Amino acid sequence: MKHQTAKRMVFYAVIGTMVAMIFMGATIIYPHPLLLVVAMSIGQGIAMMSLALYLLAVALDLQSQGGAYIPYEEPVAEEPAPPVEGDGPPAA
Amino acid sequence: MPEIHSTEQLLQLIALSCAVLSLLIGAWYLVRRPHLNQVTKSMLLLGLGVFPLIVSLTGNIASFEYTLTRPFCGSCHVMGPYLRDAEDPKSNSLAALHSRNHKFGETSCYTCHADYQMFGAITTKQNGMKHLFMYLTQYAGTGPDGEGGPPIHIYKPFKNAACMQCHSTTAKSYLERHGDNVEEIRTEAVRCIDCHDVVHPLALSRRPGAKKEVVK
Repeated sequence: MKHQTAKRMVFYAVIGTMVAMIFMGATIIYPHPLLLVVAMSIGQGIAMMSLALYLLAVALDLQSQGGAYIPYEEPVAEEPAPPVEGDGPPAA
Repeated sequence: MPEIHSTEQLLQLIALSCAVLSLLIGAWYLVRRPHLNQVTKSMLLLGLGVFPLIVSLTGNIASFEYTLTRPFCGSCHVMGPYLRDAEDPKSNSLAALHSRNHKFGETSCYTCHADYQMFGAITTKQNGMKHLFMYLTQYAGTGPDGEGGPPIHIYKPFKNAACMQCHSTTAKSYLERHGDNVEEIRTEAVRCIDCHDVVHPLALSRRPGAKKEVVK
């Protein structure tokens, strides 16, 4: 379930980034004042939100696989085995 | 292969290349829809993170550099007469004389009109946003040179400090010509453009038939 949500989020992030890249690329080729303002404010905003969405999707995906956070467990200390009779050093 | 003559062009090329790479990665993902494994995630991190970041950085610098140039200032239609005069090789207006000076290069508008202070570039660009707003709200559909719109006026009086960036008031030749008024000029009591008044002769407010400014 989480994996499917993550895939959908990645899809929207890719679309958002592509729109932002088209805006910014168009500004460099055709630097009209209005286009420049739109690209450098809205375009960058879309790109930043897309990146955030992608990172969130990756985190979700890692969680669904159980690989995102592995809690540290204290190693259980083994109790010393009780001494067995006749285990001592051989008598002289 | 286009030749690169300036840092601005190099930055533009880097920005464009990264934008294309990012688009290609995006298209690859949309077409193939691969499983979200390590390789896909790494590719998408490049396409959605690294390349767009480079586009943002280089694009911002390149765009800012471009906004300093005369073609950018003249790209709004209301600036047409100002631009034509500044680029007219026969014109003797201040704008044209300074635009012909190679030291100004393409940035003659910005050099004279930018605020000369620590955060001058920022305040100048803030005013630029105001220009864009006025252009969209008051000059849309006002004719090829904006003649149907209200006269264009400068926000605040043009300061002598802008002229004194280059014209030193301590130079011998300057003192010979302006010796009587030099103190008044330094204190802005007398403005340079009071005497040197042919600045933008084709300015919208100076042309006959232009809509007059209503003073309230």
